[in-house]
Amino acid sequence: MTPPTNATRDEAARALGAIAGGQSIDWEHVLHRRSFLELDALARAEALVDDGTIRVLCGPFERLESPWLVPQDVTPQSDDGVVIAQGTIGGTAVVIASIEQKFQGGGVGEVSGAKITQALRLAAASSRHGTPIPAVLLLETGGVRLQEANLGLNACAEICSALLELRALAPVIGVVAGSVGSFGGVSIATGLCTHVIITPEGRIGLNGAAVIEQEAGAEEFDSSDRSLIWAVDGGEQRRSTGLADTLVVDDVGELRDAVREAVAAGPASPGSHRSERLDVLDARLATIDPANPPEPRQLREMWGDTYGTPPAKPAAPTASSGAEPRPGAARSRSSMQPSRRGRTWITALAAGTTPRPVIRSVLRADTDGTTYLAVVPDPGNPFYRARQGQVGLTECAALARQFREIAADDAHRAERRAIVAVVDLPSQAYGRIEEMAGLHQAIAAAVDATEAARVAGHPIVALVVGQALSGGFLAHGLQSSQLLALDDPGVEIHAIHRQAAARITLRTVAQLDELAKTIPPLSYDVRVWATLGFCDGLLKVSSAESPTPDDVQTVAQAISGAVARARSGPADLSNRLESADARRNRKASRAVRDTLNRQWTEHSGH
Amino acid sequence: MRTQYYQFPASRNPARRAHVGVVGSGDLEVLLEPGTADGSGGAAGHAQVRVRTSVEGFDEVWQATLERFFARTPVLGNWELNDAGATPALVTLRLQQAAEAAGPADTADTEEAS
Repeated sequence: MTPPTNATRDEAARALGAIAGGQSIDWEHVLHRRSFLELDALARAEALVDDGTIRVLCGPFERLESPWLVPQDVTPQSDDGVVIAQGTIGGTAVVIASIEQKFQGGGVGEVSGAKITQALRLAAASSRHGTPIPAVLLLETGGVRLQEANLGLNACAEICSALLELRALAPVIGVVAGSVGSFGGVSIATGLCTHVIITPEGRIGLNGAAVIEQEAGAEEFDSSDRSLIWAVDGGEQRRSTGLADTLVVDDVGELRDAVREAVAAGPASPGSHRSERLDVLDARLATIDPANPPEPRQLREMWGDTYGTPPAKPAAPTASSGAEPRPGAARSRSSMQPSRRGRTWITALAAGTTPRPVIRSVLRADTDGTTYLAVVPDPGNPFYRARQGQVGLTECAALARQFREIAADDAHRAERRAIVAVVDLPSQAYGRIEEMAGLHQAIAAAVDATEAARVAGHPIVALVVGQALSGGFLAHGLQSSQLLALDDPGVEIHAIHRQAAARITLRTVAQLDELAKTIPPLSYDVRVWATLGFCDGLLKVSSAESPTPDDVQTVAQAISGAVARARSGPADLSNRLESADARRNRKASRAVRDTLNRQWTEHSGH
Repeated sequence: MRTQYYQFPASRNPARRAHVGVVGSGDLEVLLEPGTADGSGGAAGHAQVRVRTSVEGFDEVWQATLERFFARTPVLGNWELNDAGATPALVTLRLQQAAEAAGPADTADTEEAS
């Protein structure tokens, strides 16, 4: 047997975090570590705050558990898997939201989502009144809890909006320690954070490898290849490409120090957040030729480890439009015929003008006082996983830029123009290049820009004319102040498409449809979606595929009504809890809001 | 999911409420709250137990596990168990942790070797 070489030893030492800054090996340091990963959600929160300062709000004895799990034969948890706590870090009052990854994989449901949202909103309110309250979010989740599909999806939109409200006033620190990582709708929130702390075990991505393999095959992403998975979305890679700020080993002391530093640093200056740096997003995407993509490791050199102008030059334009790295790479298992509805409706509504492509898959039409935006299929999209109208990297970048430009153009106008998101999206793009490049970060840019326009006073209305699925809808539509949908069987709003939902929740499609009859958030029927509390209009038309002039007029009138309501309504998403339907179907969210409101001030009165 | 209610003779009042565990695969959470003085919700002198479990078909195992626990640790109050398939050994451990967290251990009737 040969003794280990120095190189092997150094490699092992580095993997265990025994070499800091490339210097000498310190095994003692490793032996005295206390694992953070092994702690549950409460213990993680306790480990980060100053000793003895933790106060749990909305805890297990409030019994605000999910109302949707028992009817589905799933045992609920008394705090729905999220610990909200006040405490101090380095003497600064903070709020912590810690997701319990062992309960339903950390999936965001109605209650757990409402807890995070309301904690962020309360921190923002306190911050506005003179006491900045930073937030520390411990994000371990696969994303939307599929048993609460549409309520979970909406919860992700509300979390993002509340996070942005606070981020302007106090730092929001995302911690992705592992082992689940931060995925789905919550990865977008991670992309909005002031500061992201990650361990080598942590991962950040919009879609996990298994979902991509299911959608696009093992050639696109082999989910059994663990080294590939970590190479794409693991903590070291995210830090090395500037998509996370601090990389620490799994040790309570190290995480504590990193969080303390980020809290002490205070809020970042406006315009400097990753999700606001559209110049960087564009420049980074330009370095990638999807027909000949770089390896994850190459990306570190191409992009650098700070989120700034990338060292690499733009890639040479792909020779032929529609090039694929291999035959069939653009095919999706769940794909349907690319829908024409988005193009049809934006053209019809923008009567008198022809929608112009911002990029080939994003259309914009400007009429008097209103701008319409739609993502449409582009069979020649160089990013081949986004050819059927999916929202991919360049679509997000283009949308974000439109919202920013519109808001800047109208900055000095008395009345800001309305923005209508025409929504017909089969989903976000499921692809390996997308994950490597950080689709979550690109969607965060679109979400940030939409929120910024809404807060600046633009009435923003989503009009769902076809599918509105998952991350696609989070990127384009769900940040609107008003949500309208056509009353048509082809309109489908959901967290994930049917087949995948059935697979993941271990049911047949028939069982899923049966359950959806009694559990509204599970339903694929837009009429049921409309009862969840955040639908501002379900519009009857004679043809959603080929609208008649009457149909167009009906919808145009509904849009004007929605614009008027948006102008007089709140600039945030709080009205989604105030409708008659919300009072009926979002009782649990309202109870969370009221309980946290009460306990927040009780505790703050010390 | 199955919901079962049990009651067991008990004598010791917990000093405070307690919460332990997580509803994660192979684990459970336990909530213990001191009962009201009049023993409302069940017979006086009895611990009230509600078990919600994702695994069906183990009623006898639950009965036996809980019976053994309360025979040794007769802590009064309302006990709620939310279970995701924990083994009897882990159930017993979580119950003991909850009893300990809820008040000073009464050495006379706990932790005897079996």
